[in-house]
Formats: sequence, C-alpha cells, structure tokens
Amino acid sequence: MALSRVSPVDEVTIESNDSMTVAAQPGFRARLRAARDLGNSAVTWPFALPILAVFVFLYLWPLARTLYFSFTDYSGWSTDVNFVGLANYVRVFGDPAMLQGLAFTLLFAFATTVLITCLAIPLALLLNRAFIGRTFVRSMFFFPAVPSAAILGLVWGFILNPLGSGALNSLIGLFGGSPIPWLSDATLARVSLIAVAVWAQTGWHALLYLAYLQAIDSSYYEAAKIDGASNLQVFRSITLPLLAPAMSVSTLLLMTGGLRVFDMPFTLTGGGPGFATRTITQSIIQAGIARGDFGAASALSVMFLIAVGLLVFLQLRVARHLEDRIT
Amino acid sequence: MMRRIIGKRHLGVVAAFMALATAAGCAGGTAGTATTETVETVETVEATGGEAAAPTELTEPVTISFLSWATEAVMRPLVDKFEEQNPNITVEFSWAPPVTEYIQALQTRMSAGNPPTVFMMAAENRTQLMQSGAVIDLTDQPFMANISEASKKAYSDDSGIYAVATNSWGGGILYNVDLLNEAGCTVPFPTWDDFVDCAHKLEALGVTPYLDSISEIPVMVSAMLGRRNVELGGNMDEQIFNDHTLTFEEAWTPVLERYQSLVDEGILSSASAGLSNDQVIQEFQAGRVAMMSTGSWQPGSIRSAAPDLNFSFTAVPGTNPGEGYWGGAVGPGYAISSAANDQERAAALRFVEFLQSPEAVEHDNLTQGSITTTLDYEPIVDDSLTELAADVRANNFYLPMVSWPRAQDILQTTATANLQRMVTGAITPQEAAASLDAELARVG
Repeated sequence: MALSRVSPVDEVTIESNDSMTVAAQPGFRARLRAARDLGNSAVTWPFALPILAVFVFLYLWPLARTLYFSFTDYSGWSTDVNFVGLANYVRVFGDPAMLQGLAFTLLFAFATTVLITCLAIPLALLLNRAFIGRTFVRSMFFFPAVPSAAILGLVWGFILNPLGSGALNSLIGLFGGSPIPWLSDATLARVSLIAVAVWAQTGWHALLYLAYLQAIDSSYYEAAKIDGASNLQVFRSITLPLLAPAMSVSTLLLMTGGLRVFDMPFTLTGGGPGFATRTITQSIIQAGIARGDFGAASALSVMFLIAVGLLVFLQLRVARHLEDRIT
Repeated sequence: MMRRIIGKRHLGVVAAFMALATAAGCAGGTAGTATTETVETVETVEATGGEAAAPTELTEPVTISFLSWATEAVMRPLVDKFEEQNPNITVEFSWAPPVTEYIQALQTRMSAGNPPTVFMMAAENRTQLMQSGAVIDLTDQPFMANISEASKKAYSDDSGIYAVATNSWGGGILYNVDLLNEAGCTVPFPTWDDFVDCAHKLEALGVTPYLDSISEIPVMVSAMLGRRNVELGGNMDEQIFNDHTLTFEEAWTPVLERYQSLVDEGILSSASAGLSNDQVIQEFQAGRVAMMSTGSWQPGSIRSAAPDLNFSFTAVPGTNPGEGYWGGAVGPGYAISSAANDQERAAALRFVEFLQSPEAVEHDNLTQGSITTTLDYEPIVDDSLTELAADVRANNFYLPMVSWPRAQDILQTTATANLQRMVTGAITPQEAAASLDAELARVG
C-alpha cells in the first residue's frame, strides 16, 4: 500500500505586509500544521472520551486484572490473594485437557476458515446472478446466522443423535443403512462440529463477498467480454483480485471467531467424547468459574490472548501479501 | 498524512498513559482491597465461633439478602410467610439458576465484596466457601438437631458445620414396569447377573435394554462405587485422598470393568458417550428403552410427558443378593455469610431456622418433589420413589463428587471424559481409573 510522503525540507515563502519576502526555516510548515492539528485535537478529543472510557473500563481494565490474577492464587471466593509467580503458567502447560483443547481449537479455526472461504465465494457468485426468487434464496442462506450458536448446537444435537432414532440416522435407516455415531466417535464428532459451523456461517460470509462483488465496476467485465476472456479468466483476473480485501476481512473474522469458539461445541458435544471437541474457551470458563481457579484461568487467558494476537498478526501479514500479489 | 500521524501519536501517548494508570490503579487497588478484606475475613472467622452460637436479639428492623437457586415462584410464599412471622426482618430475594450460573452469580457478588447474607452451599462450591472463611459455623445452632447426619457430614470439615441441607436426592435404575414384566424379569434384581439376564431377555423382545448418558458420571457408576466404598470399609475416598493407602486404579477398576462389560455384551451402546440426558429420557418415554439410570428428580417430568408410562426405580444390584445400592447426594444447604453484621446474622439465623421448619420443608417437598431429610417431617414422594426415598433418608447413597474432599470439579471432568473414551473403546477400564490418579497427582 503506497503511503503519501511529506517533503523532508519544507520551504515556504511568506509575503509580509511591507512586501518583504521571508524564506521560512526548514520545518516551519510542519510545525505550523502540527499547531493546527493540536487545536483540532483539543476540539475532537472530548468527542472520543466516551469510547475511550468504554475501552478502558471494558477492555484495558479487565485485561490488566487478568494479567494480575494470572500471577496469583485468586480463587474468586476469597479476597485473600497471594502472589505465586509463574506457577499458574506451569500448571496450565501440564493440563492434558488444555493441550487437547488447544489442538482442537486450532483445527476448528483453520478448518472453518478454509472451508467457509472456499464455499462462500462461489456461493456469492451464484447469488450475484439474476434468477427468480433470488432475494428469498439469499435470505435462506443468511438465516443460519440469525439464531444463536447455542440454539443451533442443541438443534443439531437432535439431528446428529447417534442413536437409530436420531433425525439423520433415521433417514439413513430408510435406505437400509446402520446408525452412524456422529457425536460419540471422536473423529466424527470433530467433523460434525466443523460441518455444522460451516453450515451456519457460509451464508453470512457469502453475503459479505456479495456486497464486495456488487461494488465491482461492470465496465471491467464488459471490457473482458470484448477481449474474449473466458469465465475462468474473468474470475482469476478481475473478480478474485477485487475480492481480495473482502477475503482479508472474512478470514480475519472467521479466524478470531474460530479461536474463541465456545457455545456451539459446548451445546452440541459438551467437549466430548473424551476431550475430542473441547475448546480453549471451555477450559478457561471451567477453570475460572466451576473450579474456582481464577489464577490458572487467567494464565490460560493471557497465553491464549498472546497466541491469538500472534496468529491474527501472521494472518493479516499473509493476507496483505496475497492481496498485493493478486492485485 | 502528517496530521494523522500526529493524531495517532497523541492517541498513543494518551492510551499508553491511561493503560498504565489503569493497570497501576487496578493492581494497587486490588492489592489494597485484598489486604484490607483479608484482615476483615480473618477477624470475622475468628469471631465466628462464639458469636454464631450465641443468639443476638434483634433490636431494630433489619434487611437481609437471600440468593436462592429455587425460583421466586417457589420461594416467594416461604419468604412472605417468614416476613409475616418476623415483621422486623425484610428478605431481599434474588435468584440464579443452578448450578454453574448460580456459582458464577455468587462468586461475582463475593468478589465485589457484596455477598448475600444467606445463600446456597453445594457440592461444587463447598470446599472453596469453607476454606475461605466466607461462611459462619452453624454447629451449635439448636436447629442442627433436626438435620440428618448425611447433611451435616456433607457440609462440614474438621472445624464445624457450615450449611443446613433439608433434602437429598437418590438415583438408581429407572425401569419400564410393563416391558420388564413382559420379559419376565424379577425386580428388584437380586444380583448383577440377574440384571444382565434381564437385559438379554429385553434384547430378545427387540427393545433396547439399557441406555445411559455419559455427559457426567452415570448414576449407575456412582451407585456401584457406593457399594465398592462399603466393601472397602466406608472410607474409600479418605484412603485415596488423605491416607494414600489406596489408589483410584485399585478402587475403581473392578467397578468400571463391570460397567464396560455392558458395552462388551451389547447391552449398552457406545453411543452413550455422545448422548445428553434429555435424549435418553426421550427414548425411555417413547418405550424404546427399557432401563436407564437417573435420579429422583425425574418422575415428575416423565409423568407429564408420558402419563400412561408405568415406571419405577430399583437399586443398582451388587454381586451378591442384598448388595443393591443407590447413587445420590445431599441437596444444597443454606449458608450464612461471615460478612454479615450481628443484626444481619441474627436475622439470617432466624431465616435459616425457618427454612428447616416442618412448614418450609413440606413446601419444598410438595412443590419440588424433594426427598426431604429433616427429622421432624416425613416426605410424601412419587410411588416410584418409595423404596429409594427410604434408603435416601437412611443415608444409603453415594456420589463420588460429594465424597471427594477436594478437586471435585476437575476429577469429575476427567472421570466423565475418560468414561466416554472407555465405552468407545479408546482406553481400558484400568486406564480410565488410573487417569484419576494422574489428575489428582497433578492438581495436588
């Protein structure tokens, strides 16, 4: 991305009242602008204070407290708080449930990001075409994003019920198939969970891509058509490059959402069977609330925050790099 | 561009300053609060022993707060009755649903230095509440004479009794009477082998003989562990946790092997690992499943959903006749905050005394279907619970999470996860039992 540059030496000629020409010293113009910006800031800062207050009290303060608690034995029940150094961090690394939770959380985040992106772009292209009932179809695809993930988890729990009486297994039974242990087999439970998440979010992300698609100037397509470009060439040379910013936004949302996922796995599988679909967020909540181990939960939160920050930073760098290459 | 850069710099400086100030203020504030309140807590705890036993006269109108986990619709008549009998005491009622949300609400209020005067102590928070000195000792209160021994034991440690529980729940095998009659089964099952024979007969009828949800430790496993506890002298968990003369692997393996034999013999589906309790109940209500293990809270909802279903409870059988046992635990108990002042404490004691009176206990029994355990009231229970209720009132039940002296939540999570892995064939019963030893060693 090109940045505008300011000349290192600002030379300004000012004509004075007595017609004397003054050659301003280097930097004079910049200082003049800085003084003007300061004046503007004085006016604009009060307007930013409410959101700053929200940011401080709802983000910075809890973050600082979490960091503080991660070095203590705070239980949430007693105000008798003792400093324990890095003991909580050491303990978290020794928890097999946490490590499995970390593995599944990463798998879930990567798998949903890739699958949804691969499905949402073609879907957006389809929804961008003119056909009868287009608005209705768009609404249908958007609908799964409306109910809460927890409700979707409960509903899908009945659909994927591993017994023969489960909705999907009943359907399979009609064709003579045996019940499939969707949620009671570790691998199938992971696959089921990722599939439900993809089903729930693809429509929403397709509409995001659709919004970007509709902003593409039609003259590009007309020119390509005149030049005799094939559909694939049009997609690769026009649509995909111009969708690159949308992909950055979509994958960022998917990755951050996937890393902090809690409600759908919790309601669909409860983290099981075993620890197969347990997520990091579930571990944090369980340690903090149910176990009264705020110190360990805080340590886990801090490490997770750092890990998410790094992942998102890397993802943005990669997305930016790909965006530059495509465009 | 320069204007934006200057703006960002200002923003950065201010944000950094605010972040540092906030962090510093937060850390300082918390530390200060912690120190101050620690002293208060210690003073309160030290003062608790004598003051709790000696009733304080109420000299002026007083307001106490009560965080219930029964809904307001259930508790309001009792609160109104109490206020009517004690016109100078006002009870501020609030409610949170059990269990996780309740614990979260209570924890939040305690962290904020605003604990309710009266609240519920449960298996899930009893250790933290007792160890932190957040509750007063009720050992010497006259009304404790009306409380069952199991209830006293559940909410006590070496230093005293800290909550008053007026009910317990029990659980065993819930069975479809008509299906078992059709199969020619004898209930109660004299022995485990009779239970297995019955399951095979049901299988021959084309019915799923037995189903469990392993979303937590199944009641059947709890009941079998209860029998195992009796075999090991009645102090199995003390031997594991305190004496270190026994391990989970030694104590639990025979029980888990027997449970796993149900899967190996095709009686219990490995799908249990992915089923919720509601899903199993629906199968039972639809007559597709003949037996399941559950608790005494279930009959009311089953009678509403399937009024024609003929069902009853029976104990989980042992190896020999007469060794049947029940799963179960003492219900949540009423506790009083140690942060309450003398007047509030006196009013709270009067409120707790009222809540264990026959009048209040009868209300709990009739509106909630609870198996009440106070000595001066005989509960009325669903027909299916007659045998179970008698044993529950005689304290013949067991639940590992309640019996464990510490690390209840993490051990329960570990046990549940490894039971799921066991029934799906990922690990053996011995490995599942040994995983608890490893977890206990890790958490200390």
